[in-house]
Amino acid sequence: MTTPRLLAAAYAALAVLAFAPRLPWLFAAVCVAALVALGELWLRALAGEAMPAVTRIGLATASGLVSLPFLAITLHVTDILIRPRTVAIGLAVLVTVLGVVVLLRERASGAAIDPRLPRTLAAVAVPGLVTLVAGFLALQAYDRLPHPPEPGFTSLALNGWAAGIEGPVAIPARGVHVPVRVSSAGVPARTQPLRVRVGARLISGRPLAVAPDTTRSVDVFVPAPPGGCPQRIEISLGVTSTVFYGRGPGRC
Amino acid sequence: MILTQQAGPAVASPPEVAEAPATASRRPAVICAATLVVTGAAGAALLVAANRAAEWDTGQQFAFFWAGMLVFTLPAVYWLVRRGSGARLRVAVLTAYAGFTYLPKLLRTPDGPLYHDEFAHWRQARDILLDGRLFEQNPIVKVVGDFPGLHSMVASVSGLTGVSIWHAALLVLIVAHLLVVLGVFVLAEEIWHDARVAAVATIIYSLNSSFLFFDTQFGYESLAIPLLVWTLVALHRAMRGPAGRARLGWSALTVMLSAATIATHHLTALGLLGVMLILCAVATARALRRINPRAVTWTAWALTVAAAVLVVAYLWVVAPRTAGYLDPYLARALDQIAGMAGEGGGGGRTLFRESIAPWWERAAAFGAQGVAGIGMLAAALWLRKRREGDAVSRNGALGMFVLGSLYFPAALLILTPSGAEGARRSWAFSYLGIALVVAPVVVWLLDRKPFYSGTALLAVCAVVMVGNTAAGMNPSYRFPGPPVFGSDTRSAIPEVSAASAWLRSTQGRDLRIVADRYSGLIFGSFGGQRPVTGSVTFPTYDLYLAQPDRQISPRLIEQLSSWRFTYLIVDRRMAREVPEIQIYFETNEPVPHSDKPAFTLGQLTKFDRTPWTIKVYDSGNIAIYRFDFASLGKAAR
Repeated sequence: MTTPRLLAAAYAALAVLAFAPRLPWLFAAVCVAALVALGELWLRALAGEAMPAVTRIGLATASGLVSLPFLAITLHVTDILIRPRTVAIGLAVLVTVLGVVVLLRERASGAAIDPRLPRTLAAVAVPGLVTLVAGFLALQAYDRLPHPPEPGFTSLALNGWAAGIEGPVAIPARGVHVPVRVSSAGVPARTQPLRVRVGARLISGRPLAVAPDTTRSVDVFVPAPPGGCPQRIEISLGVTSTVFYGRGPGRC
Repeated sequence: MILTQQAGPAVASPPEVAEAPATASRRPAVICAATLVVTGAAGAALLVAANRAAEWDTGQQFAFFWAGMLVFTLPAVYWLVRRGSGARLRVAVLTAYAGFTYLPKLLRTPDGPLYHDEFAHWRQARDILLDGRLFEQNPIVKVVGDFPGLHSMVASVSGLTGVSIWHAALLVLIVAHLLVVLGVFVLAEEIWHDARVAAVATIIYSLNSSFLFFDTQFGYESLAIPLLVWTLVALHRAMRGPAGRARLGWSALTVMLSAATIATHHLTALGLLGVMLILCAVATARALRRINPRAVTWTAWALTVAAAVLVVAYLWVVAPRTAGYLDPYLARALDQIAGMAGEGGGGGRTLFRESIAPWWERAAAFGAQGVAGIGMLAAALWLRKRREGDAVSRNGALGMFVLGSLYFPAALLILTPSGAEGARRSWAFSYLGIALVVAPVVVWLLDRKPFYSGTALLAVCAVVMVGNTAAGMNPSYRFPGPPVFGSDTRSAIPEVSAASAWLRSTQGRDLRIVADRYSGLIFGSFGGQRPVTGSVTFPTYDLYLAQPDRQISPRLIEQLSSWRFTYLIVDRRMAREVPEIQIYFETNEPVPHSDKPAFTLGQLTKFDRTPWTIKVYDSGNIAIYRFDFASLGKAAR
């Protein structure tokens, strides 16, 4: 491919990557093509001589790939955030600079053209594509086969305002409703005791049905602890529990 | 023939490195394609069956896996070394070989990170996408952020294409895997000028212990090693190239690729420098005997000095933490070797201890080392007897022999707990040397008695592939299976992920948390938090180790408080199970290791009764506590 055509292809690919609406897997192919084109420009700009086709393909791919970290480091050093559009623009600038160097070089010494390159490229692309398809099919097959169930669990967490408790809570004389989050995954429906303990005393206890694979919020009433000293407050569901500290309206 | 076009008709350029002619008839190519499609499909099906067997714990995974690997790779090897295979057919088979040998890793981790370092790189790539910045400190592997080559590439591809971080990583890694295969092939061609020898060298390299799993992971060496190989290709062309602009061009390419290697991985950068120094030493020795042209030696030295300046400058200015990160591993490994050599003989590790690998994999692992030794001995005799090739080729061959010889001292390190990781990593470099010098011996054998030596060499190839892979990777890394506490790959039960998701959704990301190694991987990656798992200077494991009736060290509390640590993660499995890899927090933790768990339930549940820890989340195994240092020392009832 002549350098002007290579440049046109690289610009077109980068424009698609920067501005077109996302089509992820198609864009992945476009991105690889753009990087290989960029790598080929690196080779023409630096080595600028004929070489075996497989060497050219490998070096072009490697040079194209490493352009990305070089560009990312340049953006970082120049205090520009690394975003898809800044990367695409940066690559376009790099393509332009390399293109100018290559065109100037070719004006002086001619362009190396290897007639074996397209066929060698096909010798890499075709088996590469076939193995990708084979890999994809193997993954699909593996994914669709039944897998052993993963271990399940029931979790209990402070929820709502209670999830932000950072120290002893001042509880008014009328008590307080503490929201807790009950979540279940991979375990059958079951009923478990929901208990509240203040200090060493069991304050309340009631059964709570926990449906499988659900998450819900439950308000639990916690009465004011006697006295103003911090007391341990435990809300438990079966073997799981949350613990925080609260003080009543009195003096410590 | 290569043509040079200059404003008009094409003219012939000087002859390039000879390539084998393309296959005259299409018949072999068609038969080869049909064979490999059928065996590839069968192999893929067997690999899926191996994963299924491992998931359901039937014990047949090893047999299925190797049947799947060998059913494809052995015919591929046949087509690669067959004398009549053309240049393009070889390239096509190599590409298919690279694709197929990525399949085991793809099937192991199709959806997301699983290996220890993968979590670190995944986190780093996601941070770049979220914040647009490089060089952020990584909470899982502290130096990963200083080497942005891989994750900046993955983040850029993900951002440009819209594919997920993991899929962008797979794309980059598959390309990198193909690059390493083609790179070894091209490097061998640079040295031997024979595509058949080059194909054999590629196959031998692919037998190294890291090829199937370790160097295919989302880790910096997976990209850095192909860059190293292509840097050596460019270096050889610079050394060989005609004087003037062409040599300058290849030199510039060598410097560019070495810079990329350095920005990608510290050890590979040092490895590259080591290989370049070996090549320089050989070139100098030959120059002193007036065998090498001066230009070859001077080019080698100039490019090695340039690479050395880049490495030193990068490690000094950009990544100064690297020395402190790598140094303890080497120092401890040397201590442990000294301990093994001492009277007690302590400090060593037992190979395959408690491994579930079958006996034949273990036997093959030892056999593979013997094969490597015999291969290198034969290569030494070959190199001594056949002094052929131009100065650069001979230089390269001798340099690779020295590199390959370094494989064996590394075997000493594998016997120590701290050196084992480094030894495994070094094999990816030293096997390059073995592959490149043993390959012509293999081809010579094949030419003498094709049928017998071919059959025997295929069998040896199978044994070495099985043995090296078994020596390089634990079964839990290679296969899925039931959850196992204390395994980097199987500890991540849904319960841990749910706890991490809850913390992130309710409290936000980038929180400083204290965790064990396995929870830290999940909370530090998917959870987006900043976990600390302890160190000599910041011994957070003392929180867990403290007995229920003992106070926590005030210095540790002061550190936690002043550095604004807000959450503590407790995995109660630490009181019920012994970690599979014998690590709770980090490698030199002061935790007793035996066949019993190092913690009691009381040690781990004591935080339920300390007023300075608020238990905000509990799911049976995993509990999350919020620190309330203001309540420290205050009584509660």
